[in-house]
Amino acid sequence: MSNATTKIAVHSLADLKNTTDDAVPNYMHSLKFRQIHTTTDVRLALGYTAVAISGALFYFDWKMGWDVTKPYTLPAVVAYFILNSLFSYWLWWVEAGAIYEGEGKTGKIRIATSTKKHIPIYEVDVTFTPAPASSNPPQTIHIRTPFTRWFTSDGYFVAKPFQQWLASEVPIVGAADPSNVVEEIGRGSETDKVLNATGANAMNILEQLKTAGKPSGGSSRRRKA
Amino acid sequence: MLGLSNMAPRQLASQLLNFALVLSTAFMLWKGLSVATNSPSPIVVVLSGSMEPAFQRGDLLFLWNRGMDTQVGEIVVYNVKGKDIPIVHRVIRRYGGGGKSALRLLTKGDNNLADDTELYASGQSFLNREEDVIGSVVGFIPFVGYVTILLSEYPWLKQAMLGIMGLMVVLQRE
Repeated sequence: MSNATTKIAVHSLADLKNTTDDAVPNYMHSLKFRQIHTTTDVRLALGYTAVAISGALFYFDWKMGWDVTKPYTLPAVVAYFILNSLFSYWLWWVEAGAIYEGEGKTGKIRIATSTKKHIPIYEVDVTFTPAPASSNPPQTIHIRTPFTRWFTSDGYFVAKPFQQWLASEVPIVGAADPSNVVEEIGRGSETDKVLNATGANAMNILEQLKTAGKPSGGSSRRRKA
Repeated sequence: MLGLSNMAPRQLASQLLNFALVLSTAFMLWKGLSVATNSPSPIVVVLSGSMEPAFQRGDLLFLWNRGMDTQVGEIVVYNVKGKDIPIVHRVIRRYGGGGKSALRLLTKGDNNLADDTELYASGQSFLNREEDVIGSVVGFIPFVGYVTILLSEYPWLKQAMLGIMGLMVVLQRE
């Protein structure tokens, strides 16, 4: 897990995405969401079973030689590649970029993230079921925003704007964390400046500057996107 | 780039799994090829110059071990009992093979003056087709196997390569 003190290279899309991905479970945990690991565990089980088969074959081949292991080699190879295909299927079609799955008082949520090659925009697919699950159908929304929203120009992740963005865009996160819901009032490129100046946010922003601005005073001034 | 220490257990398990899958897939592809060709070692690298000018040191050979009726003139790869380096030589004579008697072969390197009787295990004056030969050569790529000659002559290169590969797979998340 990375925290606000880890500095990343702002031009590395992988760094931007991974750092942001790591911030999601932290944030959700702070909202008393319980993370559900089932899909990850299934993938790990498939993968490690395949590796175990291959490891066993390697060991017996090494100890006893080809003549002894020959009859077992074909079944082992077939089983390995079946498991390996299932693993890939699970990774690409079932998990499909999911970085968080969890459940809280306000509902269930699954968050999958991606980026397009060389474009520093965080693409997020959120599937959520507001509580109570019995009376609400699951909904899927796609939200996207530039990473500049929560990274300072010198590469520090700032949690507050990220949490505000998530809470404002995803209803069940907003319901769990009303203090982070901010309204977009739509005044073009100056929106953020105006938001920064509103009374409701002032204390938050100040705190934000105190904590995030630690490494250098300049960063806070430049963070206007 | 993130350190190993600040990863969650599942994340660490995933990274290790990626590395293990790379290695195990390579190994299982090799084993699959072994099954298909019926040879314990379907691809070998020529280590000596004894078959020049047909094969040079470093040539990569593809073997096939399903046609057991090997003819004179075929190039076979065989293991000598008690030595673990396979030898690539041409068949110059064959005995038996009809009915119950096992097919036996005499081989010689094109570039050698004498036949291989000297190379065989003591007391052995021919090869048993089924027991000793691991395949006939069906194709080759010149020179690409030279890397393995380097690796076997300088064993530390192997460890260095494996180490670097491992570190890269574990540490990078791109």
